[in-house]
Amino acid sequence: MDIVFYIASAVAIICTVMVITRLNVVHALLYMIVALLSVALVFYTLGAPFVAALEVIIYAGAIMVLFVFVIMILNLGPQTSQQERLWLDGRIWVGPTILALILIAEVAYVLSTHSTPAYTITEISPRQVSTQMFGPYILGVELSSFLLLSAVVGAFHLGRRRQLYPEEIAVSAAAVEQNTSPQGDIQPEPQIQSDIHR
Amino acid sequence: MTAADVYAILPLIVLGGASVVVLLGIAVHRSHSLTLILTLTGLVAAFLLLPLVSIEAPRQVTPLLVIDSYSIFFSGLIIAASFIITVLSYSYLSQQRGHREEFYLFLLLATLGSVVLVASTHFASFFLGLEVLSVSLYTLIAYSRKEYGIEAGVKYLILAGLSSAFLLFGMALVYSELGTMKLAQIPTSLSNPSSGVSQVFVLGGLALIVVGIGFKLALVPFHLWTPDVYQGAPAPVTAFVATISKGAMFALLLRYFTVVNIHNYPSLYLAFVVIAIASMFIGNLLGLLQTKLKRLLAYSSISHLGYLLVAFLASGPLAAVAVAFYLVTYFVTTLGAFGLITIMSNSDRDAEDPEDYRGLFWRKPWIAGSFTAMLLSLAGVPLTAGFVGKFYLVTAGIGSALWLLVIVLVVTSGIGLYYYLRVVVAMFASLPKGSTIAPAMRISPHFTGALAVTILVLLLFWLGIYPTPILRLIESMVTGFS
Repeated sequence: MDIVFYIASAVAIICTVMVITRLNVVHALLYMIVALLSVALVFYTLGAPFVAALEVIIYAGAIMVLFVFVIMILNLGPQTSQQERLWLDGRIWVGPTILALILIAEVAYVLSTHSTPAYTITEISPRQVSTQMFGPYILGVELSSFLLLSAVVGAFHLGRRRQLYPEEIAVSAAAVEQNTSPQGDIQPEPQIQSDIHR
Repeated sequence: MTAADVYAILPLIVLGGASVVVLLGIAVHRSHSLTLILTLTGLVAAFLLLPLVSIEAPRQVTPLLVIDSYSIFFSGLIIAASFIITVLSYSYLSQQRGHREEFYLFLLLATLGSVVLVASTHFASFFLGLEVLSVSLYTLIAYSRKEYGIEAGVKYLILAGLSSAFLLFGMALVYSELGTMKLAQIPTSLSNPSSGVSQVFVLGGLALIVVGIGFKLALVPFHLWTPDVYQGAPAPVTAFVATISKGAMFALLLRYFTVVNIHNYPSLYLAFVVIAIASMFIGNLLGLLQTKLKRLLAYSSISHLGYLLVAFLASGPLAAVAVAFYLVTYFVTTLGAFGLITIMSNSDRDAEDPEDYRGLFWRKPWIAGSFTAMLLSLAGVPLTAGFVGKFYLVTAGIGSALWLLVIVLVVTSGIGLYYYLRVVVAMFASLPKGSTIAPAMRISPHFTGALAVTILVLLLFWLGIYPTPILRLIESMVTGFS
């Protein structure tokens, strides 16, 4: 089991280094997913299967998928399809795939051998985690909810599209008029109009 | 949790409840003044509950929090400061456009985080309180959504995130060696010879925790964010960062390193001495180079936290009293200074150019007079609160024979006097003939802001001339803990 731990840790470190050195966001994300999976395996070898499962479900699953979606949505534009073809070029999958295969081999090895680790481990079940969470650490759970409340409302406030003020609307309307008047009957840019009404 | 536990943390519950009420209030009906009233009601209710709760004190509420007279005193200080900042924010935001109501929600949440910090006896509540405070501050700093506000917010976000990582790693190291995150158990696990605790890891963990704390307090190697964030944030938020955020963290620092006796760790002690000296020197010397008022106050606050470390290192029975009293005077003075900047600011920008203040005395004598009082108190001139506070710091330092630190404190205070006086001189200078008044100067202070500043000026002189009642209060509440 020791060797499994060290290989998984090495994979985690390699992936993390790759994450922060990639110039393309999607490439970095691919490595990050593998990094999270390898951390999950590290947790598993240390006797925390519950945390390992959470790591896979929440981080590698939900949060990373959200990341990928946000980045894909943000890059809307005429060159998007061209860009996506570049991102999903075969070569960029090689690195993450090899590292992920190493992890799969490790998982298969661990599951097949049932080897016990050299050091003593106390396994912590979901039940124990829950009784702690809603027993002595209930205030911690409540505080986390306030933390999330603050983060959500903050993201809403900072990310909201800014309203235009009356004088700014006047300025942009004047700009539209100036642009269109020489061409006669061409309609004003719909883009700016919709911004004003939003 | 028993009913008595719930009773003991009622002020926190009220603060949390008030933030939810404000949130729902915004959802139902967006009204600036209604939100203000809800916020102030929540703060006043939480404040009034403190004396009732103190009957139950000291009480350990779950492993996370302790409600003792020490935490009640600092909670009261934080909630009172938050009240003043809320009132100032109202006069500041009245001139701003866009959504104004969410501001109060973040103020309440940040206050809640700070109150959790001063009552924390467990690494989990330490970290969660700190994060509730920090995450609220990210948004508050960038609240205006102008370029410099966003810049300041992003800087704070990245550096605070980094320092939280240091803090967490330090906590993990301490936990991995001692097997406990409860503050009270740390000294007993440390002194237990059979456990085979590696002092290196514990010391490394504590050092990393100090990095995290040092960032929040803007002590010198970790101070680089301070001037930019102070300058970019709206003036009331800068007041919050300078007072409540730092005060709560300092109260926590004092509690943690009194329980984990810092004198048992010579290397950590030495690190604090170096940090204190560097903060006092660099804060004051770089302050000399600043022209913008908010940046100047940023360096001033760095040096003030350095002064506070002198009393922290003295750690006698007088030290806790000196720290608490100095924090009170620092709160009053800093809130006053930023309050005056707030009421001088207009919708375009905050009043921070030296030009905004040139000849102010001849046009607005009351504002200039109040500002002079605040700056003199920051410099520690007699008859102001700052003098009495500094006197106690020096007494605590001499009591523990920290001669080097006391000498540095006195010398650097002398250097600092120069840049405070430079602003004062500018305010009393006459305007050049035919010059136009800067737009920020056409002020008609909102009465709420003016009222808050008036109260602070009165407090300033009261603390400077007759500090006995507040000192008695501090002695009865704070010394019980150490």
